[in-house]
Amino acid sequence: MQLNKPQNFTTPLAKQSKTQTSNNRALKGLLTTAACALLGVNSNSEANTNVLADWKFDTALMFYNEPSRVSASEAIIAGTKTFNNDQILNLKVTVDALTGASANGAVTQPNPQTFTSPSGEKNYQVKANTTPLDNTFKDFRLQANAQWTQPLGNDYTWSVGSNLSKEYDYLSVGANTNIAKDFNKKNTTLSAGLALNYDVINPVGGIAKPLTPMLYPNQFARSVSSDDNEADSNNKITIADSDHKTTADLLFGVTQVINRRMIMQFNYSLSQVDGYLTDPYKFLSRVNNTGLTQQYLYENRPNSRTKHAFFAQTKYHLNNSIIDASYRYMTDDWHINSHTVDLHYRINLSKGSYIEPHVRYYTQTAADFYQPFIQEEAVLPEFASADYRVGKMDAYTLGVKYGMPVTSGQSMAFRVEYYHQTPKNAGFTQPGVLAKQNIYENIDAVIAQVSYSF
Amino acid sequence: MKRTVKCQTREAGFLLSFYAMASPCEVLVDCENEQHAKQLGQIAAFEAWRIEDKYSRYQQKSICGQLNLNAGKPCKIDQETYLLLKFSDECFMMSDQLFDITSGVLRKAWRFDGSDNIPSQTQIKALLPFIGWQKTTLTEHSFLMKKGMEIDFGGLGKEYAVDRALQLINEQTECPVLINFGGDLAANKARKDQQNKQLSQPWQVGVDHPSFDKQQVIVSMTSGAVATSGDANRYLLKNGKRYSHILNVKTGWPVEKPPSAITVAAPQCIQAGFLSTLALLQGENAEQFLTEQEIKFWAIR
Repeated sequence: MQLNKPQNFTTPLAKQSKTQTSNNRALKGLLTTAACALLGVNSNSEANTNVLADWKFDTALMFYNEPSRVSASEAIIAGTKTFNNDQILNLKVTVDALTGASANGAVTQPNPQTFTSPSGEKNYQVKANTTPLDNTFKDFRLQANAQWTQPLGNDYTWSVGSNLSKEYDYLSVGANTNIAKDFNKKNTTLSAGLALNYDVINPVGGIAKPLTPMLYPNQFARSVSSDDNEADSNNKITIADSDHKTTADLLFGVTQVINRRMIMQFNYSLSQVDGYLTDPYKFLSRVNNTGLTQQYLYENRPNSRTKHAFFAQTKYHLNNSIIDASYRYMTDDWHINSHTVDLHYRINLSKGSYIEPHVRYYTQTAADFYQPFIQEEAVLPEFASADYRVGKMDAYTLGVKYGMPVTSGQSMAFRVEYYHQTPKNAGFTQPGVLAKQNIYENIDAVIAQVSYSF
Repeated sequence: MKRTVKCQTREAGFLLSFYAMASPCEVLVDCENEQHAKQLGQIAAFEAWRIEDKYSRYQQKSICGQLNLNAGKPCKIDQETYLLLKFSDECFMMSDQLFDITSGVLRKAWRFDGSDNIPSQTQIKALLPFIGWQKTTLTEHSFLMKKGMEIDFGGLGKEYAVDRALQLINEQTECPVLINFGGDLAANKARKDQQNKQLSQPWQVGVDHPSFDKQQVIVSMTSGAVATSGDANRYLLKNGKRYSHILNVKTGWPVEKPPSAITVAAPQCIQAGFLSTLALLQGENAEQFLTEQEIKFWAIR
């Protein structure tokens, strides 16, 4: 415990510190000259004392394109500073811009369809036999993360961080903490973490009453007179302007060094999400027994979700390459079960450059409330969503990354990936005209990324 | 101790180890050529042994031994000895006469064996006339000190050997090398990250702090040097008061409340060594001193 020395009142503080600084320079300078004379080298530069690397920056630009659908660009800048005693501060800012169209949940029809934009101000048309996409989809997201990591004693590492993400209709704030303990000469590490997030969604046009129809401007007057719920000048009967959800994640992990060449990691995470989990912009088509759409209903999802995820990863160093393989199994109380297999194989080339092929396979079952459409004569379920993201699907990614040093301590990498998603029929029969429609349209995307570290 | 250099393979390269200057010494070389690594290890070992033979105060035939034996007479010195003495002279000036290579004479009164044998003021007073760098005369070719005085390069020799060895190694290699002579370290450049060869990563070195509970400080360094000075297990205890082996040459008494160990970073090991010793000499204010000097350090109380 250090005690503060009483200030010397006779010397004004400013003057005192100024004198101090010039003395410091004098001692450092003298010592440099003295060592230089002794060793016959020019050590006259503080840059020589590069004992702890200063700020290190990683930057990346990424482009994501689903032809005829969403395109996104993302810029990331992350800075890491290592302080004395291995304390690490990591700051990261990510900016994403998304434009284009995303599937609104309605089914394909043999005739053109008209939808009202979320704001209720304009309509958009979808051609016959094409997947309805909401082309008013446009977003800009800013994310900021800060993480502090430090050793506690010899065997513990503690980390704490916070994150913030803002879109025009969305705000997410969160905090996390993690503690890791090394055992067995640091060959085994056990870790436990907790992350909490609070998200507020403020959708354009408000939050629709679950499973109520999308309204056209000419239907507006009717709905006001026939319903007690507030209906303002938009395309839906709203129940609120905004809603929120909370997420708590618990993570337990073991990392084990198997031998000089191999390291394995196992994680289990439990995630509990409560609150508004519905996508406020997604519809379900209500079709009659000939398969023709009669109405578009706003979807509704349960207000809680409990997920369990199991993850295993192994990295194996060969002489000139590294195999990095991982598998993840996720199951939740919506009955979505997913498997992910991810394989990276990094081959070191000459002079520090490398090439890294990447293969990923993903498959999931549908949520129990998923249905591609609602039949007119059926009783409305409590929960329903036609969002392909909670439906049955397979997906794979093929990619390659090439990295190379630029100058000492600086490097560049280029990554190109192709993503292919195949939504599947989870056992629904398609009545009438729907039988001929492709209501499970594949999605292809291309991802390109350039990153630069210095 | 037999003078041999042992070579072991390790991840990313080789570890060359030998024993010199009463310490285990190591040279870590990140390269794939074993012959080359061995050659670098030998360069370091030969330089360490050369400096030990030339400047150890325990060897009567060494220059240090000869200068001490011939105290009272002007002695001829070579260029390297002149430079070392000149550096000691600069240290003496920079430290406001606290860092003094003639202070070893006080060992005649102070034996830091963990006992409670505190010398009397009379004993100490009798030694003070034989201490004081200002009483010596140094020219480029000669050195003279009063009869009864002694010099000791113990505080700088090992650090000097680290710097010299790294200098010689740098003439022979482009590979990342870390030299560790009994806890005094220097590295020439960052190592290559083993997983991602285009990235560099710092050397992570555990520096044993010779305190009671054997604390270790993990230092990450890319280039530059680190030296540690400490209380070791050398102190006296009497009536609950701890007498550190860090002596104030002006009074002949131990410095009050120095940290038990201090590790300092600097471009050259010899600078780090001087600064860590000088910091200990500041006693209670050691940390404040280094902070004001804007010097990186790790202190253990």
